[in-house]
Amino acid sequence: MQARIPVIIDCDTGVDDAVALICGLASDKLDIRAITVVAGNQTLDKTSINTLNLVDFLGYKVKVSKGAEMPLSRELITAENVHGRSGMGGVKLPEASERFYEKNAVETIAEEALAAKGQLEIIAVGPLTNIALAILAHPFLKESIKRITLMGGSIDGGNHTPAAEFNVYVDPEAAQVVMNSGIPIVMVGLEVTEKAYLTKMEIESLDFWHAKDETSKTIRALLENMLEICTMFGYKGAVMHDPLALCYVLDESLIKTKAMNIQVETQGEITRGKTVADRYLVTDRKPNALVGLEIDRLRFVELIKELLNKYSQVSNQQEKWRRKK
Amino acid sequence: MKKIPVIIDCDPGHDDAIALIIAFGCDALDIKAVTTCAGNQTPDKTLNNALRVLSFIEKYPIVAQGALVPIMRELMIAPEVHGESGLDGPKLPPPSFSPSQKNAGEVILDLLKTSNEKITLIPTGPLTNIGILLAAHPEIKEKIERIILMGGSAVGGNWTPGAEFNILVDPEAADIVFKSGIPIVMCGLDVTHKAMIFKDETEKFRQIGNKTGKLVAELLDFFDLFHRKEGFGFAGAPLHDPCAVAYAIDSSIFTSVDYFVEIETKGHHTLGATVVDFKRKTGQKNNVTVVLDLDREKFIDLMYSAVKNLI
Repeated sequence: MQARIPVIIDCDTGVDDAVALICGLASDKLDIRAITVVAGNQTLDKTSINTLNLVDFLGYKVKVSKGAEMPLSRELITAENVHGRSGMGGVKLPEASERFYEKNAVETIAEEALAAKGQLEIIAVGPLTNIALAILAHPFLKESIKRITLMGGSIDGGNHTPAAEFNVYVDPEAAQVVMNSGIPIVMVGLEVTEKAYLTKMEIESLDFWHAKDETSKTIRALLENMLEICTMFGYKGAVMHDPLALCYVLDESLIKTKAMNIQVETQGEITRGKTVADRYLVTDRKPNALVGLEIDRLRFVELIKELLNKYSQVSNQQEKWRRKK
Repeated sequence: MKKIPVIIDCDPGHDDAIALIIAFGCDALDIKAVTTCAGNQTPDKTLNNALRVLSFIEKYPIVAQGALVPIMRELMIAPEVHGESGLDGPKLPPPSFSPSQKNAGEVILDLLKTSNEKITLIPTGPLTNIGILLAAHPEIKEKIERIILMGGSAVGGNWTPGAEFNILVDPEAADIVFKSGIPIVMCGLDVTHKAMIFKDETEKFRQIGNKTGKLVAELLDFFDLFHRKEGFGFAGAPLHDPCAVAYAIDSSIFTSVDYFVEIETKGHHTLGATVVDFKRKTGQKNNVTVVLDLDREKFIDLMYSAVKNLI
């Protein structure tokens, strides 16, 4: 078997973050070294507890580290309108028996990067505060993180404002630090994530759709919640922003990318957090990111379904504990 | 058919020159004046170029020079694209007539005031002249039918990654124009980069047999060069400014959608960006008809017929 890829998932759980974690934990291609949590979709107290509860509920033993409560230099903005008051869109999880890892997100990233000897990848699906702080505080990370695949940004137009995508809008300074860090970046932005939807029919064809166990019911509730919200916003199905970034690491052929230079606007009056792409090479700046432009949606849907269907076997608590050794 | 009264405000510039030629060659427009602004080259050069092109095609409208510099920024010019003269390539004789003694803004104001019908403005350069006019004489807005402009871009820029040249040169002027409430048609890079002319088509202009056809071909020979550089990688030359004139002549060859559009006047990477509210997030009323596509062949045909009408 191919060696599993050591990764840290940095997230702000978050309904679609939860689905990304569910998929990532089910994949046998990833060695999830830790999950670091940031404020974004909701405040840090909520995003971190959502993450801890989810990992525990699914029966995995993975470090969960708390990260930054606030963006580098701005007030926090959350997406309560999308993710609800808890951040989990009304989906309730039992209280975790595990605790947070004792080290914070920045230390955890540094620790795992050292341990992975240059092989660590980061999948960042929230605002980039933790990642930027780690790079600023531990400059050696610039050479020792293999790649950052991030869900964020948009080169055509935003979803939070006309110019900006939510994750980058929340902490544009952090995004600018990450983009210019020299670490290879894959930007999975709205150009591709908005095409990464699962239709109602596709969701309802999941193996466990009618199963009665708690895991099935929870995943179903998350997907139904996404479907409802996304339909309300006019999308054709449940849009899998964060899961797409994760799936790119599992199978790069899902997304067609192009190398571009991306700079993040931090001064603009109406363009805060815009990821500005140098399409026509009008600057001397070298490409710093592979920008996702097209996806193979049907193959993406197949992969998501394959990962989620791994949970169809899990029908009771005991089964879960078996996996959590 | 009744001709549409228009004023063309331009900074020639190769594509401005072709836009002027189309405007005078077609029989749909009643051109009240040609005013010039600084942009593609310095203000004296753009004025001289307008006069030279008009003299060459033997059309003698009122021509007036406008603002010498943007409202509050230093002038930025584009010799990389248009050469030292602003119209490098073809050999054009000196002008055979003189510009008005009045300033462009005053000329436009007088024409609007005394006209008993609304006039369409077609700016194909930075919006300095129009911005100043609207700020200084807001009451005159009601005499303007609409503003069909070449500038901006819903997606990406050509001078910086964030901005298109005309808007970048004077973002404050653009901001005034876009907020004016006057109906605006934005022929930005979204459409102008699709309004390509290819080599074999340029040859057809050369072979029309009149001197204007030859001039257009020579302008395109030069203009084409810049757009072959690596970053653009275009197979032809994008006819930016002729799009605005062609839209005024026959909007049916274009595809557009109305949106709310705002100008970034503060950004570090986005100065001069025309931010289009595609997802209608702001709840603001649409202020701009954003032109997104065109029937390219009909567009080239329209140009061809116009050039054929001239000497």
